[in-house]
Amino acid sequence: MELVIENISKNYKDKQAVSHISLNITPGVWGLLGANGAGKTTLMRMIVGIMEPTSGQILYNGLPIDLLKESYRDIVGYLPQEFGFYPEFTVRDYLEYIAALKGLTKRDTKDKVNALLEQLTLAHVRNKKISKLSGGMKRRVGIAQALLNEPEILILDEPTSGLDPGERVRFRNLISEFAQNRIVLISTHIVSDIEYIATQNAIIKEGKLIATGTTKELVKRIEGKVWSSVVPMNKVCEYEKQFRIVNLKNEDENHVSIRYLADAPLISHSIQETPHLEDLYLWLFPETGQGGEEE
Amino acid sequence: MRLLRLEIKRVLKSRRTYILVALSLFLSIIMAYMPVSFVETSYLDENKNRVELKGIEAIRYIKTLQSDTTGSVTPEKVRLAVEVCQSCFKEYGVTDYYELPEDIYNERILPFEPLLHGIKEVFADRHTGMAASIMAIRPEQIDVYYDACNERLISLMKMEQIDAQAPQDKAIAMYQKVEKPYRVYPGYNSDAMDYELLLAVLLLIFCAIISAPIFSSDYQTGADDILRCTKHGRARLGTIKMISVLGISSVLFIVCMGIYLMLSNSLFGWECIKTSMQMEYSITNLANWNMGQLQFAVVLTGLLSVIATMSFILFLSSKSRNVITSLSIGLLMCIAPILVYMIIPGEIGLWLRCMLPSGALGMTSSFLYATFNFEFLGGGNIAIWTPYAMIGFEIIEVLVFTILAIRAYVHHKVG
Repeated sequence: MELVIENISKNYKDKQAVSHISLNITPGVWGLLGANGAGKTTLMRMIVGIMEPTSGQILYNGLPIDLLKESYRDIVGYLPQEFGFYPEFTVRDYLEYIAALKGLTKRDTKDKVNALLEQLTLAHVRNKKISKLSGGMKRRVGIAQALLNEPEILILDEPTSGLDPGERVRFRNLISEFAQNRIVLISTHIVSDIEYIATQNAIIKEGKLIATGTTKELVKRIEGKVWSSVVPMNKVCEYEKQFRIVNLKNEDENHVSIRYLADAPLISHSIQETPHLEDLYLWLFPETGQGGEEE
Repeated sequence: MRLLRLEIKRVLKSRRTYILVALSLFLSIIMAYMPVSFVETSYLDENKNRVELKGIEAIRYIKTLQSDTTGSVTPEKVRLAVEVCQSCFKEYGVTDYYELPEDIYNERILPFEPLLHGIKEVFADRHTGMAASIMAIRPEQIDVYYDACNERLISLMKMEQIDAQAPQDKAIAMYQKVEKPYRVYPGYNSDAMDYELLLAVLLLIFCAIISAPIFSSDYQTGADDILRCTKHGRARLGTIKMISVLGISSVLFIVCMGIYLMLSNSLFGWECIKTSMQMEYSITNLANWNMGQLQFAVVLTGLLSVIATMSFILFLSSKSRNVITSLSIGLLMCIAPILVYMIIPGEIGLWLRCMLPSGALGMTSSFLYATFNFEFLGGGNIAIWTPYAMIGFEIIEVLVFTILAIRAYVHHKVG
């Protein structure tokens, strides 16, 4: 099983959202990283076939997806960034509706819906209207609908936004288990969510693919660029102007421990740290918020 | 079928739908009673006290009073009615009904009123169309009552369709087929037909409110992103959404109109629907229908109009990225025949009113009123009676807009 993205671009009126991206996506969990507006959502929409590329094509097992039509949609699961649901439906009604659209039989629908409600701890709200659920629960309903047809290709756009830490852990475990012999593409800017489970990553910046590889391969790019040091608290503002501080922790009343990114140590007694994917993300996207997470 | 059931369930479960369904059912009952409540009459009892009657009591009293007129409208019956009327007018030195004292009218004229319907029209001036005075009608003229009706139609068509021979010929041919003698069953109030039309227009608007968000709401909320990347999320879902909304609209329309007619006809008396429509409206109406057939035709063309308009609105919805656009244009379409009637006069306006999907339910310009008129579309040797033209256009529009809506949904570009 292989999903090949061949030199695809997407132009809007005055903007190129995706520019000449080529990527071979093989089974496993793929993390798609990029800042807001980098083109992640546009790329995912083209992969699931709801948006046509301006140029280039996407091939599934060697065949263009626009020719495969229904048979391609049959093996795809998609959770968009904005989960639009039917407010009049209960959780169970909605999942049954999507199951019917996915061509599941009545019996399979019942079994699959019950199993997913249990797995995603939604069983107790099955008869509740989706509009009455919390943000995290709505997100889990969104994840459940994407998994209904046990898709070979699962595309999740910001799946963990709105989930609490416990729910994120459960989500990661669920996806890791699910991803056996399947393609799972997760877009996020919450780097920690994919750092643990992604077998491969693709990083997009301003519509262009700037890096691909395993987390280990990618973080090598910033080896020797992650430092930590304990500094006086009154110096922090000054340092923030000079280099990128990725973490800051109080040590005592007057001192803080900082983790920063720089080509060489800029503060005496700095210690070189092992880089993480989040450090790479912040190195590549210096304009994003401190800590790299957005919620 | 499962998907269709779930889609119908989804539409019916929305608060908007069940409020509108409840309102429709309520209006069907209320509006059926209203024309009954308008019927009023009075009489003087043995002690010369005025007794006022309203509603069903008034209908019963009038029916009893006019029972001798029931059945075929023969020239003999009409002549007798005119003679009674003329004698009364002479006695009181008046020339028209409204000049008579109310009690005298109720006592002497009211029993013959159904037969006097249209008599002034039958003997209207052949050149000016001015209605004749009752006193100017010679009783022996009435012996050839139906010949006079034919002559009236010929002169009317000459005035309505100057220099257009095809419509004149067509109208005469149609009128030849109208069953004569006419039949009359007293007690009906033709306001009930106006209320039937008004209810149909309200139902059209309610159905538009249910239909307008069907596709556009999904685009607006992003729900469509999930639906269209599922196996059956394109043509099949588009078709099912169309079928479900057209089905819900049709059932709502049929049930509400059915309730209305059942109640209305039960209150007025089912025998009233056997009255020739010429005895309620123009004496030379071209349709060979009694009131029951007219009621049925209004429901049938109304249903066709609802389906055509909903197909158009669903097409709009499939092209609109938000509900406000599809709803506002959809509602505009519902009232478009009224606007066209007021703004665009002449032949162009007539064509437009017939072509609009909502044309049959346009109040002032509608299928019901078109059946009273003598208007034809066409040119040269072709003349199509406007009610038939409306039906023809609506059938075409149902097919065209349904196909366009499904196509637009399938090819919708995610923004």
